[in-house]
Amino acid sequence: MTDLKIGQEVELEYGGRATITGIIGSGGQGVVYSADYNSTSWALKWYDITKMKDPQQFKNNIKKNIDDGAPSNKFLWPRYLTKSLSDGSFGYLMELKPDTFDTFVDILNTYKLKVDPLTGKAMKQDVRFTNLTSMITAAINIANAFRQLHRAGKSYQDLNDGGFFINVDTGAVLVCDCDNIAPDGSNFGIGGKPGYMAPEIVRGVARPDVQTDKYSLAVVLFKLLFRGDPLEGEKVVKDVCLTEAAELSHYGANAQFVYDPDDDSNRPVRGIHDNVIKFWRMYPDYVKDAFIRSFTVGLTDPGKRLIEKEWQQLFIRLRSEVIACPCGRKNYTSMFKKVDDATYECPKCGTVFSTLKFSNRESRMPLYIGSRIYECELDPETDDFITVVGELVENKLKPGVLGLKNVSDTPWRVKMPDGMFYDIEPGKGCPIWQGLEIQFKNGMITASVEP
Amino acid sequence: MSKNSKDNKNDVKPAAVDNDLDLFDDFDDDPLSATSVSRKSLVIFFVIDTSGSMKGTKIGELNTVMEELIPEIRRVGEADTEVKVAVLTFSTGVKWMYSEPVAIEDFEWSRLSASGVTSMGEAFKELSLRMSRNSFLNSPSLSFAPVIFLMTDGYPSDDYKEGLKVLSANSWYKFGLKAALGIGNEANDEMLAEFTGTPDTVVHAYSGNQLAQMIKIVAVTASQIGSKSMTLADQNDAELSDEDVYASKQKMLGQQIQELVNKNDSDDISFDSGW
Repeated sequence: MTDLKIGQEVELEYGGRATITGIIGSGGQGVVYSADYNSTSWALKWYDITKMKDPQQFKNNIKKNIDDGAPSNKFLWPRYLTKSLSDGSFGYLMELKPDTFDTFVDILNTYKLKVDPLTGKAMKQDVRFTNLTSMITAAINIANAFRQLHRAGKSYQDLNDGGFFINVDTGAVLVCDCDNIAPDGSNFGIGGKPGYMAPEIVRGVARPDVQTDKYSLAVVLFKLLFRGDPLEGEKVVKDVCLTEAAELSHYGANAQFVYDPDDDSNRPVRGIHDNVIKFWRMYPDYVKDAFIRSFTVGLTDPGKRLIEKEWQQLFIRLRSEVIACPCGRKNYTSMFKKVDDATYECPKCGTVFSTLKFSNRESRMPLYIGSRIYECELDPETDDFITVVGELVENKLKPGVLGLKNVSDTPWRVKMPDGMFYDIEPGKGCPIWQGLEIQFKNGMITASVEP
Repeated sequence: MSKNSKDNKNDVKPAAVDNDLDLFDDFDDDPLSATSVSRKSLVIFFVIDTSGSMKGTKIGELNTVMEELIPEIRRVGEADTEVKVAVLTFSTGVKWMYSEPVAIEDFEWSRLSASGVTSMGEAFKELSLRMSRNSFLNSPSLSFAPVIFLMTDGYPSDDYKEGLKVLSANSWYKFGLKAALGIGNEANDEMLAEFTGTPDTVVHAYSGNQLAQMIKIVAVTASQIGSKSMTLADQNDAELSDEDVYASKQKMLGQQIQELVNKNDSDDISFDSGW
């Protein structure tokens, strides 16, 4: 391949030049450089065209993606194509990863390596979600990004842990490496990353498409929550050495989920898969069932795989079922004692939590200082999973009295302790009491405390 | 895959199936307290001739390039494979640089000196002894087949065929990625191909510059291929069989090394490109 040198200028298709300023990294398809263009820093992906089946076709596809534009702001999308050099090599400019984001690989490793430029010594730096809510928000955002992409009629093809940047404080997600994205049904040579590829691709009988993306999405979500490989258990580890034939078997024809309820021959192994063993016990059944479906019937029948919207709704529910106990314990309601249908109790400190019942869903929202109602829980069509409309707070004037504060931009209609309905304007709140009833969205959705 | 793996099977226990979770259990129940995802491991073996004929510029150049090479390989393995390095030298006897494979992040090259004869057969036997689940390849999690890179400048002074016979019975060797570098006019590429199993992964260096280039090409390419899973589905549209994928990494290594070496033969490309 033609390497670019620092200081070298590359001409862009639509005029102008980008100047190479450094190397960011290299991957299977080429090298990513940093470059200046129009006084702004960009990332320049430069291809090793000798590894491509049909470079021109690949380039045309990127050009089409640039013309179509990104499905949403969750994508670090190709922006400007370069002209091809005399040997045919080319690249494209995309925005740089913001500093506040980390790669999913680093999150899975729980650290990133910072290399001291003087000594060359690599130092470890922690990379962890700062709270449970941001981790689940990341899961929602990942599922949503792929929903948006698939709705645009495209498939990602190479979904893997290198494809995301995540903000560990907020759960915001940026999908990168968008250059293999192609109209559903087309494939320009990429197979995918082992471990993330659908079994039918590993076996050689299918090409990446929307259905195989759905499989890879389940793997990504499994790794995000359980921090292990869904197919790597006792049966796989017994092989010791992962030869080509072993990979073909364990990720292809003989793939088997570690928590297949009907076959326990590939369970996670203590000392190796401790994360999966620990976390699997903690999640509610509806989450576990979704993964069981994905990795049992969904292994062989692409039609049985969960659609993105199902994942999205499932994680919106999971996020609303988190309790932050004053004793410091923050966990899913499945890890609290269920006193009755409307009440949870902390098994460590005994604190009791009542819940809010919503007219548009079956699951109840536990009430604790800091619990939040999100816009997406009231509006199923929105792609905004971060905006909060209500938050449970302590009254500043009456310590010990808890209430819901309206942090949205529209008033709520609320039944107060005197039995009358009042408008609660944005910025105002209402106390939590046994007969509380809140009407959102002009009364379309109500929330109440009654059992 | 080694013979010893059979004995270790019993060590592998499935998770206890206790779904009746006692919430008062004192176990760590923070859904965020994850440890690093278990990574696959890869050991890169450098088997280096330090006999008397290596003395001078050869060993000097080799020391320098190896020092510089370590940070380059470090970048290869940082994602989801834990890369370790082991260095075996052979002259009149055989000697490991460190008593066990060292993680690439912590590896420091200790400079080698050259003297004595070329006990390559003994080196093969020692390598076979250590390439075992009970010795150097003792990672509890999954391992990729090791990378084995042999460098020599002369003909063995002992019975290398006998050593190679022992080594050939080792499964890690059989599935491993094997490459060899012949240095100078004395080294015999045919004999090196006996070790690698294919002439494609044997390269030759006649000058100091070439030596540095070849070591980098082979070591970086081999660790890149070795530390990743195969992308099994390449051109096929039919169900892949074990035979389809057998030794596909070794074949890929041969192809890539040949491509890079041939590129370096042409004079229009400067020494600093092609990496």
